[in-house]
Amino acid sequence: MAKARQPDTTPHTVLACGEVRTCLLPARQALDSRSAAALLALRADEHVLLSERPNLYARSPEVLTGVDCPLPSADGARVRAVGTVAARAALTEGRVLQTSAYARLPAAGPGARQPWGHYLVRPGMVEPLGKLPHEAVAQGVLDGGRPGDLDVGLIADGLLTRLLRHPLLDHDPPLRSRPTRLRWVALPAEGDDGPSIERFTLAEDELRTVRLRIPEGTSPADVAGLCDDLALHDWLLTTVVRMLDGIALGGPPARRGPGAAPHRPVVAALRPAVDHLLHLWMPRARVARQLAPLWEALEDSPGFTRQWQTLVQRIRDQLALHAIASVQREVEPAG
Amino acid sequence: MTEAVFRETAADPRTQAVPLSHLSLEVGHLYMEDFEAGPARLREHFAQVRPWAAAARAAAEARSGGRRPRISTCFLVDDYFTRFSTPAELVPQLLEEAERAGLVIDYLARESGCAVSGTVPVAEAVAGRIVESPPPGSYGNRPPAAQTGWLANGERSPAPRTPQAMKTAAAWQPPRETAARRHSVFLDAELWSDDAQGNRTWSCPFLAAVWQLGRLGLLRHRGAPVFTPRPHDTDRFPDDWDELPPLIRLNPRADPFAAYRTCSVLPNRFLPVEHAVRVVLDQTEVDRTALRQVAERSAREHLDVPDSVADRVSYVFYAGS
Repeated sequence: MAKARQPDTTPHTVLACGEVRTCLLPARQALDSRSAAALLALRADEHVLLSERPNLYARSPEVLTGVDCPLPSADGARVRAVGTVAARAALTEGRVLQTSAYARLPAAGPGARQPWGHYLVRPGMVEPLGKLPHEAVAQGVLDGGRPGDLDVGLIADGLLTRLLRHPLLDHDPPLRSRPTRLRWVALPAEGDDGPSIERFTLAEDELRTVRLRIPEGTSPADVAGLCDDLALHDWLLTTVVRMLDGIALGGPPARRGPGAAPHRPVVAALRPAVDHLLHLWMPRARVARQLAPLWEALEDSPGFTRQWQTLVQRIRDQLALHAIASVQREVEPAG
Repeated sequence: MTEAVFRETAADPRTQAVPLSHLSLEVGHLYMEDFEAGPARLREHFAQVRPWAAAARAAAEARSGGRRPRISTCFLVDDYFTRFSTPAELVPQLLEEAERAGLVIDYLARESGCAVSGTVPVAEAVAGRIVESPPPGSYGNRPPAAQTGWLANGERSPAPRTPQAMKTAAAWQPPRETAARRHSVFLDAELWSDDAQGNRTWSCPFLAAVWQLGRLGLLRHRGAPVFTPRPHDTDRFPDDWDELPPLIRLNPRADPFAAYRTCSVLPNRFLPVEHAVRVVLDQTEVDRTALRQVAERSAREHLDVPDSVADRVSYVFYAGS
């Protein structure tokens, strides 16, 4: 898909920031492509993007939200900015729903607010009034702003709330899980340096923060795509870790009297992971080529895929053990 | 690795470009009551329009740097709010009166085509593209306009609260135009209304905004142009408005329908409607690829086209109702 490039009458981007919400689609059945397209049809006149390789994936058109407010800033500077934040939603394998809101900011903007039409022909750009202290604002975004500061997370939330009201959803999910938030900023890389992840933090609650350096000219939509991918896999890890935490593994099954099936709770608890989650692991499926190396950094440390494989192995081992146990019980004499 | 794997839901994923004139000149936008008043009313209208149409052509020539500008003329007939007579009866009358004033109508459009064009719900799609201009203090918390059916050029007065016993009512707060220069000219336009059965009627200013976007070549439906003129080579017109295509080309030698800029010559009574049109255009995010196609094309022709879509639209309001 060719991305539209706007007439380049504004200074280049020195900061991009965004927030991603990731949750299990609250529906008993995963959605097929057609239903996914219906869910994500945010605009009557634009396509929902559908992809079947390497996995089933659907992405909504972008919608814009206008903002005019101070930017969060680590050094307390109150820089007012005006523009639009882009937001879109994506559904992976009909099962994991994500909404993602992001904006790019130029080094400087006009000294006063312009007519609104000026901002609408620069979709997804938020222009500071005057100069942008981009390092301080980047840190401010990651720390979370003061009330009234730009909050792209609210925009991602708003889109998620809108989607969750869709009549296709029966709000009867097959497993319990919690939504996560991933907040990111991307600053220009030094000189000819390639992209890098400066920090990936598991902050309080369900919040993760990511600080990136990207070469000049990298599309913020591509960066948002990378962060959506990170958020998806982080959510999978978080959800499966919590699932294993919640059940007592190993040890002799508690005796509950004749006829009871003591292995059931573990199998019942793990089965939804097998049915709905294990096939979703596919890092970099849709990450722009020039940003793919960033994933390798996370594979190195903390080792996302290594952790995932360990979790998957534990689940399979548990299920195998319980399968053996149930076969043994069948051949043992009743007692 | 990234975009190449996408398959779009339609067979043709490309956003098609449309041919473009320099200027789309609207020589009338009349309602059924204007036609009801008889040919004399049309004659008077075109006599009033003629000098301004000539002025608009001269201005387009001046802008095109001496080259012959491509200019197409169009006329919009309202068949949406009221129905009167038939195309077979009315259109020849209209063309005759235009010709008498020395004007050629290249394209004729029906207003209901701005609501639904063929099977394409154009007005609904445009309504989905409204991005409200945020008043200062909007940090991502604004409810979408689409829920209210109204669009303003600023902040409304706070709704007065019912004063509770022993409390005085809150003082009135004025509305505020967001782009005000010291003082506000606040405008709140109704985009649509729904009846008890949930049937939606689009407002005249909203359909007029759709019409402007069509004339600017900025409407697409899943990549396909929305207002595609159908040739009309005979003198015969159908007996039912619904049988007339939403946009027809009456003049086979006409320049393209869509244009970089539009000019509409209208009677004074359209002033408030067109103010509302501007409020809508100023807050509508048009198709990004269509916007880029226009920018690239005009750059190749060394033509200056304003960035802002609302600024591509101009008017002449003549005295009269």
